[in-house]
Amino acid sequence: MEGRTPLQTPLSQRNRKKRNLFSYFALLPAAVLVLGLMVIPIGATVWHSFTNWDGVSSTFIGFKNFELIFHNPIIYQVLTNSLIFLISVPLILAASLVAAVLVYEKVLGWRLFRFLFFIPMVLSPVIVGVLFSTFFLPGGAVDQVLRIFGLGNFSWLGNPWSARIVVILALVWASFGFGMVVLLSAMSTVDTALYDAAAIDGASWWRRLRSITIPMISGSLQFLSVINVIYTFTSLFAFVYVITAGGPGFSTTTVDYYTYITTFENGQFGYGAALALLLFLIVLTLTVAQVKLFPHREVQQGS
Amino acid sequence: MRSKISRGVVFAILCLIGISTVYPLIFMALNSMRTTQAFELNPFGLPTHLTLSSYTALFSTVPFLQSILHSLFVVVPAVIMATLASSLAAFVFTKVPVKMGNVLFWTMLMIMFMPGIVVLLPLYVEVARTGLANNFAPAIFIYTAINIPYGTYLLRSNFRAIPDSVVEAARVDGASWFKIFVRVILPIGKPGIITVGILTFLNIWNDLFISLVLLHAPNTEMVTPTLAQLSGKYTSNIPVLMAGLLLGALPTLILYFATARVFIRGMLSGAVR
Repeated sequence: MEGRTPLQTPLSQRNRKKRNLFSYFALLPAAVLVLGLMVIPIGATVWHSFTNWDGVSSTFIGFKNFELIFHNPIIYQVLTNSLIFLISVPLILAASLVAAVLVYEKVLGWRLFRFLFFIPMVLSPVIVGVLFSTFFLPGGAVDQVLRIFGLGNFSWLGNPWSARIVVILALVWASFGFGMVVLLSAMSTVDTALYDAAAIDGASWWRRLRSITIPMISGSLQFLSVINVIYTFTSLFAFVYVITAGGPGFSTTTVDYYTYITTFENGQFGYGAALALLLFLIVLTLTVAQVKLFPHREVQQGS
Repeated sequence: MRSKISRGVVFAILCLIGISTVYPLIFMALNSMRTTQAFELNPFGLPTHLTLSSYTALFSTVPFLQSILHSLFVVVPAVIMATLASSLAAFVFTKVPVKMGNVLFWTMLMIMFMPGIVVLLPLYVEVARTGLANNFAPAIFIYTAINIPYGTYLLRSNFRAIPDSVVEAARVDGASWFKIFVRVILPIGKPGIITVGILTFLNIWNDLFISLVLLHAPNTEMVTPTLAQLSGKYTSNIPVLMAGLLLGALPTLILYFATARVFIRGMLSGAVR
């Protein structure tokens, strides 16, 4: 808000009133929708996480839901899965960085490449997920390629680790386009004189990448890291739903998917509310931790 | 790095990544026009003779075209309302000093990354209780609300780039705030607003969670739940599945191809953070 300068011309009392009236009307749609359909529901979820709500009636039961959660072995499996899926974050950052750095070289057709790399981001996780599960079906496209190397059919989705790999691959493929654009946008603000000076000093391409580009875009890299960590915890639902349905067993079930099952399939709304709240607290902790761990970096990227 | 060889290497790697992003579309298109037998024999083969039987099979088993219409019916109004509400809010936050504006903005910022289920859980119960399940209206308004914080956040940084002096000049000329919004902010901020509109469209069209929970009856189902359901039914009939995927992706692909110039520039201008 500090970038806003108050109007220089002194306004009459009547003008100020008018301005207030306009602001209230202009803010009304956003305020009503956000309050009514987000803030109040969040409050309801917080309240109901302390009740045994079944969707119809609810009684206050204190911390019982949270006790149940911490005594549920599946929760530990589910949390571990989410931590495993965090492997996708460095992979997405690496893929985004490679794509951005190479596009930035402005070789023949770089605009076309930039256009094409963005296609996965336009597709629904449902479409990406179904596509990947099709590729990895037993005897499917991937197996047919592997057969060339003398490998037989493999049940990719029937095996905990290979199923996780398929989900991670789908996620990386779907996410790197956005990362690339964010990094390209940051790179375009780097002063080209820096590169020229480095080139005169005889710095290699690799050296310039390490010493100029990456430090200059570290704010954006941090932003991407935060966004993708949040995404891994809160938005894998669609991928998991279509690729593995959480299986085999619970080996690819994420917190958001498990909350969906307990809430909307089993009707345990109070318990689901507690789970949803737990998910929020995890995301909040991870976000704060990431911002605190690299506080100096954010300063560089004042937008 | 200026050598021909290194540029050739860069080009080659870009081609590989490009193939990885384009090939799936080609895979969907080609295999949707082949028979199941031909697919099973060789998923990478070129079709020897094209058939549209997968498309007729798709339409006869699930109400696919209806699901596309349902999605459009929900997405279009939600995108318009969310983008408009976000633009108005962002305008006030950047150009019209007002009490309490900060409170609303920080509230939005805090709930921007709230897991969807935290919000949706009580809404689902309320919608079911009031008998509005499988009604489009709650879905439209919920999608609108959920997309306002991010839209406002993006447009706020966008409108900040518009010099205050432009607004001041219009004020001195006696223009009302509403007039400034319509005549000054909307035209200057147009690329950013369009970018946010497209992002919102993609967000809602591609979402599975809310549509799955709120609109599950066959006569209201949107396209993503239909596709998810299709993949369960048709894992043995890949060509039908591919036909569904391609048609489901088509609206967003067309939107992207048609607006790529403005959209990519909008994304690159730092609008996304």
